[in-house]
Amino acid sequence: MLAKRIIACLDVRDGRVVKGRRFVELRDAGDPVRRALRYRDDGIDEIVILDVSATLESRLANRRTIEAIAATLDVPLTVGGGVRAIDDVARLLDAGADKVAINSAALERPELLGEAAARFGSQCIVISVDARRAGDGYAIATHSASRPLERDPVAWSREAVERGAGEVLLTSIDRDGGREGFDLTLVRAVREAVRVPIVASGGASTPESFAEVLRAGADAALGASIFHDGDATARDVKEACRTSGVPVRP
Amino acid sequence: MIGIVALGAANRRSIEAALRRAGAATRFIEKPSEVGTCDALVLPGVANFGYVAQELDRTELRAAVLEAIHFGIPLLGICVGFQLLFEGSEEAPKARGLGVFPGTVRRLRTPRVPHMGWNLVESCSTRFASGWAYFANAFAPDASVPDAVATTCDGDDTFASAAVRGNVIGVQFHPERSGIYGAAVIASFVQSTAVTYAR
Repeated sequence: MLAKRIIACLDVRDGRVVKGRRFVELRDAGDPVRRALRYRDDGIDEIVILDVSATLESRLANRRTIEAIAATLDVPLTVGGGVRAIDDVARLLDAGADKVAINSAALERPELLGEAAARFGSQCIVISVDARRAGDGYAIATHSASRPLERDPVAWSREAVERGAGEVLLTSIDRDGGREGFDLTLVRAVREAVRVPIVASGGASTPESFAEVLRAGADAALGASIFHDGDATARDVKEACRTSGVPVRP
Repeated sequence: MIGIVALGAANRRSIEAALRRAGAATRFIEKPSEVGTCDALVLPGVANFGYVAQELDRTELRAAVLEAIHFGIPLLGICVGFQLLFEGSEEAPKARGLGVFPGTVRRLRTPRVPHMGWNLVESCSTRFASGWAYFANAFAPDASVPDAVATTCDGDDTFASAAVRGNVIGVQFHPERSGIYGAAVIASFVQSTAVTYAR
């Protein structure tokens, strides 16, 4: 049986790991290569690197950081940040990424997802959806959550998957960095809409919070601050998962 | 020298790094004349089946790779590089595979498609070991293909996760991203190339 994944996210800016709350107030959280390898040693199932200033600065994710991590890492690596065109996907794969996350550019030109899937396969293309609370429901935002849109993240996830995305990286902007637990309502809503894997992101607070969102329908759960601050390791998270019957890799 | 057949879409840096960690010298292969410089070949993963099949023809690498296989050069196919060793795939019904393994590749019927993450590779042959490996695939050969040496199961679907025929080995998972188990699969392949070379 496929194991549920525990993922560590490294938000990177200027070659350093940073972490904030609700995408702002970024603080330094160390060297990305050392972080990635430590998390690997702790039993993490996948590393996600998001170059958080790439789209805002109209450039692609920093190649040197990705190459350095990719050369030493032996677990999968997903990279996002500043992907505008199909050649950007090729460049990130060539730097050592295994999967590429697309966010803002797919909303501006949704055909990009289909073109990327036709060349790289849908299993390589991750649609990154940043959702914020809006009234009784949710709406998405782009450009590292700085540009709010009036689009429904559930409908957009469904469309992105129909167009070719093979995974949804679903981030709750309101829960980002807040350590209040994942947004289970958001995860359940997207779960109803798509058949591809969902990575839940935003709000990881305790090892048990991972187990909770994985039971709610996520296929993978992603944490950043909780790992950066040393409050829990992937091993702790997996122990909590096993205790509550969530299958994880030994 | 292990040649990585680079067909534009692959995560070729990942496999290059993994082969080097196993002590192998590597180069990227982009045209037929480069195939002869290699003691072994790797067909890496991450692409659409139709795209790589088309690239094999455009670069004229198809004949060169088949010739190397028939000559007895060890070859490792990974993910779509594994699927390419079959006759064809439901991902691109009009595209032709290399036809080294009989049978075709079908769409998965796993609870989630793509089948993404870590799953158990269960050996059904003394020639292959079991272990936990990382997968990212929406397609796979059926567990019933004649050359299967390992299978993997999710939900009600069981597919072939490794196959061997002569000097050719294919794996549906990504050994370059499968921790200690993946490193062992790659080390075993690198060692087999050394044995061939010595002969």
